[in-house]
Amino acid sequence: MMPLAFGNKRSKYRVVKLPDSHLLKALGLRKGTEFTLESKHPFKGPVVVKVGCRCIAIDYDVARDILVEEV
Amino acid sequence: MKCHSSHTNKRNISDGKIKILLMGNPNVGKSVIFSKLTGVHVNSSNYAGTTVDYTIGDVSFGRQRGVMIDVPGVYSLDAISEAEKVAVNLLKEGADVIVCVLDATHLERNLDLAFQLKEYDIPIVYSLNLVDVAKRQGINIDVEKLSQELGAPVIPTIAIKNKGLMEILRAAMKLAEEECVPGSKLTDEERWDKIRDIVAKVQTRVQKKKVTFIEVLEDKTIQPWPGIPLALLVLAISLGVVVGGGKALRAVVLLPLVKDIIQPALTNLVSLVVPEGVFRNLLVGDYGILVIGIEWPLALILPYVFLFYVVFSFLEDSGYMPRIAVLADGVLRRMGIHGGNIIPLMLGYGCAVPAILGSRVANSYKERIIVAALVSFAIPCASQSAAFFALLGDRSIPALVFVYLLSILVGLAVGTIVNRIVPGKSQPMLLEVPNLLWPDKDAFKKKIKLRMKNFLIDAEGPMMIGIVVASVIAETGILNEFSKLIEPLVEGWLGLPKEASLSLLLGIIRRELAVLPLLELDLNMLQLVVGSVIALFYLPCLSVFGVLTKEFSLKVSLLIVVATTTTAFLFGGVINQVGRLILGAM
Repeated sequence: MMPLAFGNKRSKYRVVKLPDSHLLKALGLRKGTEFTLESKHPFKGPVVVKVGCRCIAIDYDVARDILVEEV
Repeated sequence: MKCHSSHTNKRNISDGKIKILLMGNPNVGKSVIFSKLTGVHVNSSNYAGTTVDYTIGDVSFGRQRGVMIDVPGVYSLDAISEAEKVAVNLLKEGADVIVCVLDATHLERNLDLAFQLKEYDIPIVYSLNLVDVAKRQGINIDVEKLSQELGAPVIPTIAIKNKGLMEILRAAMKLAEEECVPGSKLTDEERWDKIRDIVAKVQTRVQKKKVTFIEVLEDKTIQPWPGIPLALLVLAISLGVVVGGGKALRAVVLLPLVKDIIQPALTNLVSLVVPEGVFRNLLVGDYGILVIGIEWPLALILPYVFLFYVVFSFLEDSGYMPRIAVLADGVLRRMGIHGGNIIPLMLGYGCAVPAILGSRVANSYKERIIVAALVSFAIPCASQSAAFFALLGDRSIPALVFVYLLSILVGLAVGTIVNRIVPGKSQPMLLEVPNLLWPDKDAFKKKIKLRMKNFLIDAEGPMMIGIVVASVIAETGILNEFSKLIEPLVEGWLGLPKEASLSLLLGIIRRELAVLPLLELDLNMLQLVVGSVIALFYLPCLSVFGVLTKEFSLKVSLLIVVATTTTAFLFGGVINQVGRLILGAM
């Protein structure tokens, strides 16, 4: 288990724990959601993940609060 | 939700038109459906008390008439963000029928909103859009089964190709006659479980064979490498289209039209009717109302503004804009705003008014102040840019580049400073990155038409007033008096001829009017740069002042005015003094 912000590109993860955010849920990121880490950006830029066929960009600080495990 | 036909008249709009709410998640092709179904009369309105705009258009099917409201795209109806509040309010105001657009490539998330809509007593027809894209991605959805599960008609559509849209309208008009009992309210967990079950029942996925070019592009544009260089390239091309295209339009079509046909015709006409003197000069003199009143807006400003909106709307509708937002986030975060704000900032290069209004619906007060300050300070609007291109483009490209580089540097400084002094928190970036697609022609045309209409209404009025003022003070001699008054500032500190004071006067009304009078003066290189720098940072125009006061407070807008004007005279003067020293030493 580790924070999403420290994940590797192209790896698959499952959400274990995430902050209670209305928008995260609405975007389809919930406990148990599986996704691929698409890209990470310099200067603590966002982490982009792919859920299903859609990409979501997540702020670096938020990505640090999301705990994931590798699938 | 159970519906049955009723004979009671339940029209929600007084003149017997059927009221249709078009709803769905963001980026599901809602606006494309809207522009295909509605006629030529489309209006955008601001929802009272919010920063959210929505669009209304007329629809007709056979003999039935209706109005369709393009409700802002939302992921849920929790009424937390401004867009959600507007969506919920529109639902509460009542409607005859809802058209809910579902994205076939992301059914699970889209069904969340679909189920929340069922809690209202309004009949729904579902448009299962993007079925072609889903198929390409190996996703198959059993429409029949989905319709059973939702208890409402589901119609597969490919909005961009006009497929299935008439069926949607037919179903909507039929359902509008029926009455509904709202479905039972589910908790979030119950709803998600139900949705997961339904998706498992109706959706099958096959592994697809090959990766398409567009998917490769989607992937590359979201990676720092080669995404960032690609983005810079796209921006450079966009700039090229606006500057080059605008220049060509001007030189080939508009200037000959204005200078060789319209102006001589008007001058001759006026000379016949009006005797020589102040009054004739006022109309057709060098600064005559009919001379610059036609030349400036039509030949100098319009081509650039038009091309700017063409390029901007293309970047927006193709799904590329959110990618720029992701790439820019790292830098914008240093200024206390998340990457999504690159969109209003870029819109600011068109016009500051929509940029400040649209500074992202979910932004905190602090972020809105930062965006507003950046836009008012350091982002030249399209009209102003057009004036810069006209002034510097023919004389010196390095000078033009210098002015824009300076604007970016000052922008970075302003963002950092405002971020330090304004208390409050910034919101983190959470953004869906939509698929890349070729913009739909109809939706694209409608968007540009609407934007040009708003520009003409917002900008041309004040510009004409400015031109009338310019004519009066230039042709009657008032200008000379004013020029004498501020001579020390203009001639001494800034090194400009005293006629340049006209720029300072008119710049209060419109930003480009601070530049355009310089065109008529015979300035040397240093004076051109100084004049441009002053015009760059000088007062935001009257409309911006109004918007700042309305959105924030009089205090904020006055602060911005004082800060920008001080910066303008400081930078302009320093550049003049330093420039003279260097030139004198050479």
